[in-house]
Amino acid sequence: MAKKDTMNALIKRGINEETVALLLTQYTSLDAIRTAGEEEIVKLGISEDEAKDVIQKLGAVRSSSTSSRSKKKVVEEPEPVKMEEVTDFYVYNDTELRLKGYLEEEKIELPMKVIVDIAARIEGHDVSEDKCRELLRRASAMYERHKMDQNESAGVMAAHSIGEPGTQMNMRTFHYAGVANINVTQGLPRLIEIVDARRIPSTPSMDIPLEGIAAQDENVARLVASNIEMTSILDVATIDTDITNMMLIVRPDVRKMEERHIEVEELVERLNKVKAVRGLVKLSGYDIVIQSDEPSYKKLQVMYDSVKTAKIKGIDGITRAVLSKTEGYWKIVTEGSNLKEVLTVTGVDAPNVMTNSILEVADVLGIEAARNSIIHEAMGTLGEAGLDVDIRHIMLVADLMTNDGYVKAIGRHGVSGKKSSVLARAAFEITAAHLLHAAMVGEVDHLEGVTENIIVGQPVTLGTGAVNLIYTPKKKGDKE
Amino acid sequence: MTYGITKRIGSIKFSCLSPEEIRKMSAIKVITPDTYNDEGYPYPGGLMDPHMGVIEPGIRCKTCGCKVDECPGHFGHIELALPVIHVGFIKDIKMLLESTCCKCGRLMLSEDQIKDRMESMEKMEELGGGTIEKKLFTKDTAKDASGKAVCPYCNEAQIKIKLDKPTTFREVEDNHKLTPKEVRERLERIPDEDLRALGIDPETCRPEWMVLTVLAVPPVSVRPSITLEAGDKSEDDLTHKLVDVLRINQRLRENRDQGAPQLIVEDLWELLQYHVTTYFDNQTSGIPPARHRSGRPLKTLEQRLKGKEGRFRSNLSGKRVNFSARTVISPDPLLSINDVGVPTFAARELTVPLRVNQYNIEKVREIVRRGPMADVLDFPYVPGANYVIRSDGRKIRVTERNAAEVAENLDIGYTVERQLVDGDVVLFNRQPSLHRMSMMAHRVKVMEGKTFRFNLCVCPPYNADFDGDEMNLHVLQSDEARAEARIIMQVQENILSPRYGGPIIGAIHDHITGAYFLTHNNPRFDAEEAANIMFKLSDIEMPEPFIDEETKERYWTGKQLFSTVLPKDFNTSFKANICQNCGVCKKDQCEYDAYVKIRDGKLVCGTIDVKAIGNSKGKILDRIARDYGSARAAQFINQVTRLALGALMNHGFSTGISDEDIPKEASLQINNNTQECIDKVTALVDSYRAGTLQQMPGRSLRETLEVSVMQVLGQARDEAGKIAGKYLGMDNPAVIMAKAGARGSMLNLSQMAGCVGQQAVRGERLSRGYWDRTLSHFEKGDLGAYAKGFCSNSYKSGLTPTEFFFHAMGGREGLVDTAVRTSRSGYMQRRLVSALEDLKLTSDGTVRNTVGTVIQFRYGEDGVDPAKTVRGKAIDLDDLFFEVFGEESEEFVHDNEKDVGGDYGSLEKDEMEYIEEEGEGEDMDDFETDYDGGGE
Repeated sequence: MAKKDTMNALIKRGINEETVALLLTQYTSLDAIRTAGEEEIVKLGISEDEAKDVIQKLGAVRSSSTSSRSKKKVVEEPEPVKMEEVTDFYVYNDTELRLKGYLEEEKIELPMKVIVDIAARIEGHDVSEDKCRELLRRASAMYERHKMDQNESAGVMAAHSIGEPGTQMNMRTFHYAGVANINVTQGLPRLIEIVDARRIPSTPSMDIPLEGIAAQDENVARLVASNIEMTSILDVATIDTDITNMMLIVRPDVRKMEERHIEVEELVERLNKVKAVRGLVKLSGYDIVIQSDEPSYKKLQVMYDSVKTAKIKGIDGITRAVLSKTEGYWKIVTEGSNLKEVLTVTGVDAPNVMTNSILEVADVLGIEAARNSIIHEAMGTLGEAGLDVDIRHIMLVADLMTNDGYVKAIGRHGVSGKKSSVLARAAFEITAAHLLHAAMVGEVDHLEGVTENIIVGQPVTLGTGAVNLIYTPKKKGDKE
Repeated sequence: MTYGITKRIGSIKFSCLSPEEIRKMSAIKVITPDTYNDEGYPYPGGLMDPHMGVIEPGIRCKTCGCKVDECPGHFGHIELALPVIHVGFIKDIKMLLESTCCKCGRLMLSEDQIKDRMESMEKMEELGGGTIEKKLFTKDTAKDASGKAVCPYCNEAQIKIKLDKPTTFREVEDNHKLTPKEVRERLERIPDEDLRALGIDPETCRPEWMVLTVLAVPPVSVRPSITLEAGDKSEDDLTHKLVDVLRINQRLRENRDQGAPQLIVEDLWELLQYHVTTYFDNQTSGIPPARHRSGRPLKTLEQRLKGKEGRFRSNLSGKRVNFSARTVISPDPLLSINDVGVPTFAARELTVPLRVNQYNIEKVREIVRRGPMADVLDFPYVPGANYVIRSDGRKIRVTERNAAEVAENLDIGYTVERQLVDGDVVLFNRQPSLHRMSMMAHRVKVMEGKTFRFNLCVCPPYNADFDGDEMNLHVLQSDEARAEARIIMQVQENILSPRYGGPIIGAIHDHITGAYFLTHNNPRFDAEEAANIMFKLSDIEMPEPFIDEETKERYWTGKQLFSTVLPKDFNTSFKANICQNCGVCKKDQCEYDAYVKIRDGKLVCGTIDVKAIGNSKGKILDRIARDYGSARAAQFINQVTRLALGALMNHGFSTGISDEDIPKEASLQINNNTQECIDKVTALVDSYRAGTLQQMPGRSLRETLEVSVMQVLGQARDEAGKIAGKYLGMDNPAVIMAKAGARGSMLNLSQMAGCVGQQAVRGERLSRGYWDRTLSHFEKGDLGAYAKGFCSNSYKSGLTPTEFFFHAMGGREGLVDTAVRTSRSGYMQRRLVSALEDLKLTSDGTVRNTVGTVIQFRYGEDGVDPAKTVRGKAIDLDDLFFEVFGEESEEFVHDNEKDVGGDYGSLEKDEMEYIEEEGEGEDMDDFETDYDGGGE
């Protein structure tokens, strides 16, 4: 079940929207929530009463997953929820509207981009209506001339256009443009990573613009960065184990604490929440002492381990956050990525946050965002290498990868493995398995694709092979 | 050749063979585990029985009575003494055993659930679900059904089954081994209805067929034996394997019939299972592969199919062809870009079918009368004929001797295979065929010599050079193919690359230098010079000369000559490559003659260089190809390159090591500068040692040192380049080439004349080799410039031994990089092509795949062909505004638009390096601080 359906279902059951949002961060189906039970849900930050309510409203856990599946159809079609109207964030200016008016009168069409470009040029100049109309007419004629031919093998063209420059790309990883000390995979390895739809890129990284005062003031920006960068206790303190007294001594480094805007009290408070040492943490002078409550070395070791890995501040997964100034505004560049959490940090210009982890974008913002992310990342990688590839090719690849509503890889686990033709799949990879399975289920290959037709030796269904010319010669006796 | 209606295969259905079917289609039951007897005749009932087809010429097949090429071969069969499991289906068998009852064979789901599943599957099919979706769904069904403790139908308690790889099933509880026979019995019990719920079509594949009782023996023609020189025969791997199967099968049968102990029978049974398993797949994990006597693993059925050398990729997706040729390539600047020079030797061998009709019979007869003329390799070249195909399909080889006779008997309806002549359409290709421009159609031009020749402008799309490259040529055999090739594959149709909206075919190297000399500062030519430049352009009139006001002599100007090749109504203006990027452009008054302005087909001012006519950057070329059509563009390229070469030859041009000569004071300056920088480095190292080095935010002290040193040494090289550049003016041929964009860059020059600079591996200074040092020539722990790969000499002054070694280290990285890159990017491209090959633009403007799923509602969001775009933009605004407003159009150009996207394609590699260096310099600017300040 898609997340959206789940959301609708939950709202229909009278669960408030905030709770729903929280639930959806972790679970995608009603079943999942049911099986998780109250305790798990509470961990998401939902009050206990609320959790109990949720479970009650969802009903008890069903006996098995099959039964729930068979009953899936019984669940009433979710009522279409009135979504908040998406505002078209591009607002046409006067010149553009004027041009659009002419276009309508002339009954011609032009892509928005062309209209905007023309408008930008005539903006501020006094151009008569006749001239405007002539511009548009000529533009339209040019546009029509530049349209792609029917039955063009757009796919192969895109694959060639992206693959061919691959041979000219570099294998090395480069420094991130503008920020010298964050390494980001670039070149061919990065391009391969993008088409592979890898869950976690080899060098996840985020680009976080700041808003308001944080964008202007370095100190505020620094504070925001300290809230983003994950700080573990070892980053700000040293831990000693005192075996004789059965205790851990945490010695904070004042300078480092200051840098990361952490107070000692905060540290104590945070450590007190760590499971193994809950309630045992006390401040003694400059140091923090954690006294073990039972005289066991093993327990001490467990305590040490859990304290060592304790997160003090920041967001999971973000190992470094570096400030950088572009065009007079401060922004944060990170190593590691966690889009969902970063979007909630105050001072962050959330709509403009970028991450290079495509699947994370898909999870947090949806498939359309993931598609744009693929285009952005691939264009960036090719651009960085100084290669010029038309954006239309990358759009096609991105659209293909995101066509099913989730991100598919280019390869045997993704697009190629899901082809409709047995022969095409067999010709790509894992030949025997595909053929045997086809024999078992009695699969029929309709020979619609390229590979299949080449295998049987007939013209392919693209380009000139897609059309037939039928000519019926007149017989001698025929009249017409 | 077939004429008239062509048949088309509609679809192919896959299914399993049932034992009955195998027996029915079998020509003979194979019983003898042997091939040939001592006399060399096949044993009857043996693996080479002539009932299964023939491989030796002259012998007739005993089943169909045909000879070698006519008999397709016939299957035989082996009756297995006891059933064995087919390895390929082992997972499916396991799935079936787990999800069905061991007693009644029903799928262990309730009737309702099964019905529900079936309905869902029907709905899936309705919605266009493919095999893959169904496969996942049925997998789910099976998973739900398995693991039940009791059968919902007969209440029989179920025993869990474990699979011991590769082919043994065991019951978990008592470790009882399920024999294939038992497995088969269980599978037999599964009712057809339940199979459908599991996605198996009982019509095409009953599950018990997955346990073999009969083994199909492929025809002899599938596994031909090879006769070695010595006369002994060598059998195919499959035959070897079948011999093993037969032998064990026989022993098993004998032992079983004689009532041998259970243990022995079981052992033999397992051995039979092993042989059948390896017969299907000799790389099954868990068992040792069957080996040939020599120790080489046998290539059995699955190995024949899979992988790069397997049937699918090497014989089905790619096929060997006739009417093709391959030889070394060499350049010929006087050929048109559409031509390919074919050596007579190849032309005599390659043929085009010519159908004889009443209008051409006499002409064709004349060709046939000449015979094959295989030895006539000199000129004038006239085509002969190699074969004549009669109306009844008989092919007659035309020889010197029978030529006259065959010509005489020629009749309407015959087909004559005529040798190549000038103007034939052929395909020309160079591997790796990375994009569609790797295979283009050319017109044949039969030439002397032994190489294929083509115009130099066509090198970039093929990525060809002439250091020994070979290329392939294919002769088209049908009118349809020829027409298609001419209209969409010809070189001129591929001038604009679909990768970026710009030309990929255009002037290169010397053409650009030539055009520079022709147009830069508008030189004057007298009658002789002008004629020399122009005489290769046969179809162009000499323009009216100017008359010198003082001497009253006639003269032509370079810009005037260049204008002759432009279309008469051509207008454009842009900045040339030699543009110095002054703050305010003086346009027409540019003192470097770098502002190109063309009005009504006349070059008013500016220098013609890469930005005008070069491949991938040429703006004039770009415009002509897009607006005047491909034929005009091809003509323009042909003419402009000839003109440029004429100008270059008139001027004379050469470059050599003396071009990098710099005066003494310059080298002194460079040395001083380099020394200064090295001193700076030493100072940095000292301060690092002393601990006084200012640590950079976010970096360790050592990293800080490295970054600073790299920066200082980078400056050293740049400075050296600048000093050298100052002394190498625009009168230097190497500089002219670099500035005009013909070849090389200023970076190359500064390395040759100034200083080679820091060598790097993985973007860092060299550090590996000995302990704490790169070479034993340095002290341990030396962090100075020279010890870590700085080359202060220039290529010309010569590197010191250590510098040379460091340089080789840097060079080696590049080589390794290239090797790794090609394989990685090759695989990426294969995957991309495989994923995208079926997508096409349909007539409603959507992009769809074979099933009809919409991938894009409008191609590229505007439906524009990338090849026809202007640097990715749907229309050329400059052009549009010029059409409407004429000269006033420039007023509309905003300042911020002016320099957008000058270059297409790829920057040259060394240019990239340059940019990289500059980029790293910028990184060091103060504005960027690291927040965490510390680090290790």
